[in-house]
Amino acid sequence: MLILTSLAAGPKHGHALAKDIEEFAGVCLGPGALYGAITRLEERGLIEPLKTDDRRRPYRITATGSAALAGVVADMRQIADVGASRLGLTLGTLA
Amino acid sequence: MNGSKDERAALLRWYPPAWRERYGEELVVLMEDYSDEQRPTLKVKLSLVWAGLRERVHESGLVGVQPSPVERARAGSLLVLCAWTAFVLAGASFSKASEHFAQALPVASRAIPEGAFDVVVALGIMGVTLVVLGAVATFPAFVQFVRVGGWSSIRRYVLRASVFTVVTVGAVILLSVWAHHLNEFQRNGGDGLYSWVLAAWALLAAATLAQWTAAGVVAARTIDLTRRVLHFEAILAVAVAGTMVVITAATALWWGAVAKDAPWFLEGTASGTSPSPFNVQLALTMALMLVVLLVAAYGVVRVAHSWTGLRPA
Repeated sequence: MLILTSLAAGPKHGHALAKDIEEFAGVCLGPGALYGAITRLEERGLIEPLKTDDRRRPYRITATGSAALAGVVADMRQIADVGASRLGLTLGTLA
Repeated sequence: MNGSKDERAALLRWYPPAWRERYGEELVVLMEDYSDEQRPTLKVKLSLVWAGLRERVHESGLVGVQPSPVERARAGSLLVLCAWTAFVLAGASFSKASEHFAQALPVASRAIPEGAFDVVVALGIMGVTLVVLGAVATFPAFVQFVRVGGWSSIRRYVLRASVFTVVTVGAVILLSVWAHHLNEFQRNGGDGLYSWVLAAWALLAAATLAQWTAAGVVAARTIDLTRRVLHFEAILAVAVAGTMVVITAATALWWGAVAKDAPWFLEGTASGTSPSPFNVQLALTMALMLVVLLVAAYGVVRVAHSWTGLRPA
């Protein structure tokens, strides 16, 4: 979810991904955890590597990955809407 | 800085070779980016070790839904095989602990423990037969594997197992000669040195069994097996796990029956002297059986998850 969200803004290599995720989610992913997640996401066809001559290989989100992310975001928005309405909060921008 | 480079390369060794081939260089660069040419911290090292081991487990097909049914069935069947190997050791321990038990029981109380013991023996033979059948089914594929040069990938495992076998057989011959000069009391715990050497030999025999199992697992993971053969192996794996369940139940029944009518046998004391049914060796044996059963159950679950996709057309 974090990696897909980061890649939704454009292709990134490992370190750029980790920095972006730390910035928007406050989660610090170590190299082992990050590449474990990248491996699984690539296996599932949700992200793909881009060709490069640099040692830092960038990845981008695929169409399947975008659809999966959209599904998760919709689910989370639905839960957030219910939570907000039960708390009497106004989250108009989420609608 | 060469030290930190070497350290990063060493950390990659925790990952499986195929993963290193694909992602290794990228991960090294990421480590460099994280630590600015400094040595990786202990936290980073531990996280990489853990991640590497997870990748190895994932690659084996033991976890995750991503591996194909073929790989899941192969991994599940091999897990049951490994569980069976450990179960054989538990069976050997039970066999030693139950030696001459019938003589300790009143004639009227022998039916249940003797019946349970016979079930253990019969199912043990059945389990071995199933494992041998499994090995026979893979033999044609193994021959083909060796013909196309696969021997080099398993040679060191087979050689190591062969060396262990020669040492174990040599040791048992020497032990037999030694035992021939001892009386029954000395052979059954009366001679401390003999008991320790016998225990060491038992460990050596267990290690030999483990070496052959490792060789078998490495070969079976590499050999190209057809879906039909894998389907057969999966059925055998479920059957072997079933025999393990029955053997464990029969062992527990045997223990309960002997504990009720001859607890002194379990304590190794004279007839009628102790009411305690506890026996450390039996307790460890049962614990090993139960742990191994859990492992086999997980293997069966992996096999079951691959069932539909594995069935030959």
